[in-house]
Amino acid sequence: MAGKNPIIHVQNVRKVYRMGDEEVVALNRINLKIYEGEVCCIFGTSGSGKSTLLNQLAGMEKPTGGRVLIQGRNISAMSEEELAAFRQQHIGFIFQSYNLLPSMTAVENVAMPLMFRGVEKEKREKQARMLLKRVGLSHRLDHYPGQMSGGQQQRAGIARAFVTRPQVVFADEPTGNLDSRTTEEIMKMIMEFAGRYKETIILVTHDPGMARFADRIVTLKDGNIIGDERKDENGRYV
Amino acid sequence: MRMRDLITVCLQNLRRHKARTLLTVLGVVVGCCSVVIMISIGIGMKKAQEEALAQMGDLTIIQVYPAGKGVRSARLNKKTVNQMKRLKGVAAATPKLTEEGVPIVLYGGRDKRYRTAYTSVVGIDLSTAETMGYKLTEGEWKTEKKDRVYVGQHFAYTFEDTKRPEGKNTVDMYGGGWSEDGTLTPPPPFFDVMKTPITLEMDSGKEDGKKAVQALEVGGRLKEDYGKGEETFMGMIISLDTFEALLDQQSRLAGKTRDGRKGYQGALVKVSEIGYVAQVEKEIQKMGFRTSSMESIRKPMEQEARQKQLMLGGLGTISLFVAALGITNTMIMSISERTREIGVMKSLGCFVKDVRKIFLLEAGCIGLMGGIAGTAFSFLISALMNIAASRSPSSLSGELTMGGTARLSVIPWWLAVFAVLFSVAIGVGAGFYPANRAVKIPALEAIKHDS
Repeated sequence: MAGKNPIIHVQNVRKVYRMGDEEVVALNRINLKIYEGEVCCIFGTSGSGKSTLLNQLAGMEKPTGGRVLIQGRNISAMSEEELAAFRQQHIGFIFQSYNLLPSMTAVENVAMPLMFRGVEKEKREKQARMLLKRVGLSHRLDHYPGQMSGGQQQRAGIARAFVTRPQVVFADEPTGNLDSRTTEEIMKMIMEFAGRYKETIILVTHDPGMARFADRIVTLKDGNIIGDERKDENGRYV
Repeated sequence: MRMRDLITVCLQNLRRHKARTLLTVLGVVVGCCSVVIMISIGIGMKKAQEEALAQMGDLTIIQVYPAGKGVRSARLNKKTVNQMKRLKGVAAATPKLTEEGVPIVLYGGRDKRYRTAYTSVVGIDLSTAETMGYKLTEGEWKTEKKDRVYVGQHFAYTFEDTKRPEGKNTVDMYGGGWSEDGTLTPPPPFFDVMKTPITLEMDSGKEDGKKAVQALEVGGRLKEDYGKGEETFMGMIISLDTFEALLDQQSRLAGKTRDGRKGYQGALVKVSEIGYVAQVEKEIQKMGFRTSSMESIRKPMEQEARQKQLMLGGLGTISLFVAALGITNTMIMSISERTREIGVMKSLGCFVKDVRKIFLLEAGCIGLMGGIAGTAFSFLISALMNIAASRSPSSLSGELTMGGTARLSVIPWWLAVFAVLFSVAIGVGAGFYPANRAVKIPALEAIKHDS
């Protein structure tokens, strides 16, 4: 299922936070290759460094040392404007707390990444409506986030992440705020999208139940990778 | 992002906190109003001043006097007046001959019944009289005839009736009654100057009683004008050549020769445009004469008006700056509320420059709304002020409009446009600091798990 080319290449990434006089090593020389089309779960307990790793992968923070290449481009060295342009073209996000803008309707929220690109209103909203239909929200198109349930909001969030057809979608505890039944729905939906569009998904979670949806589980502990398993044909991790 | 989308997002955000937006806009309305009203009062003041000046006299006429009595000082004679006529910007020039040392007696009516002495007689080039701003209440300018004179508005009241006893032989022009609308109606004088021949006599002062005599025809009655002089009130203007011939004759009879070289006592120079006044005055001063014009009164008045206007405008601007602080405050509040949103937008690929634009636009929008509403409101206040000022001539409005008919507050179109643009500029200016803060919010805010 996974391609041969690493779409994300993490090279010697180190992240040290300064807490007063103390230095906290959040990531300790991480090396990781994530391949095209992979659904990769970054798994670890809180404080393991998984969120920090996500921040480095998505270019939210600059690493203290090392670099992150996405499609061969060093995002660790990009300026803010370059990063913005890069995110518009290649990256999607699914957040734990959905992060829909309350002043916009579902359609407007989903169309937002296209708006940043400068796509015409009609064109981008047509696309947004299409995606909202696909996530089963055709009856909520013009609702505001405040009028939708958590599950519905997250579906809109998924639609928003995929609307630009990005190569990589980062999902940060996407079901952290949802009940178990909705979690199942949401995860299946993400997997379905990933499969259809051959997209690379980076799933960050502390929930072993969620991790089983992934092709590959990278386990972190105290800033180090302590496990890297792939699902074999029988669905077992090796 | 497209401009249209930026505006949509900005309006969505402003709509979200209607009360807060409204209050901030209200601050700008008050600030904008105070700027506009203050400046409009300044403009009203200036307009009133201009009107008052225009009433005082023609702004384009320069009065010329000899500099002094010394032998070496420049002479004001036909030659020098002609020189003035040739200066750039000069439309006309005439000498002004007055002769105070010669006893002039005027008679009117049949058998010299009415008599007056010590009349101010001024000899000018009558063909320039109209250009020089002499105005007529009766008659018309027909200046070719040499015995034609134009008399002051109240000339007739200076005559005494030689057939009546002392004390009853004059008509007091202020002796009339009040009419119903509160104006004084002067009683009719002894005779109508327009229809009565006048004779001018100049006594030689010798025992033989010989006199220089000239019969005059009144061509019109001048309008009283303090800027011009006594001749428009109870005196008369006469053709310069006629007057000079008479004076020469009188001198001969007195056995003297008139010292014509002394020159004229004054001259009038009319300038084609107000812009030339200062320049022409300078040239004439260079020739060795003293000058005076409304320009020398107008300049300091104008400067004072400008200073007042600046002061008033400055006062108004202070309140607009307070409003600007309000905008900054609102924007900072709104940004701290929207920290996560900004992070989300950035993580979804919103350009930093677009984030800045959104916030500058929001601040500018508040300025625009406040500016438009404030300007509209200013027109209302201005109208109310003018109505109030015209109804009650209080000391304040009286002083500000200098008793003229001008309005207390005047808002020209450029002030309205300026006020709106200025409000927008203030808004955008007030938005800079908050926008820079917004820009610095990291995308990381989007994934903080604190909510």
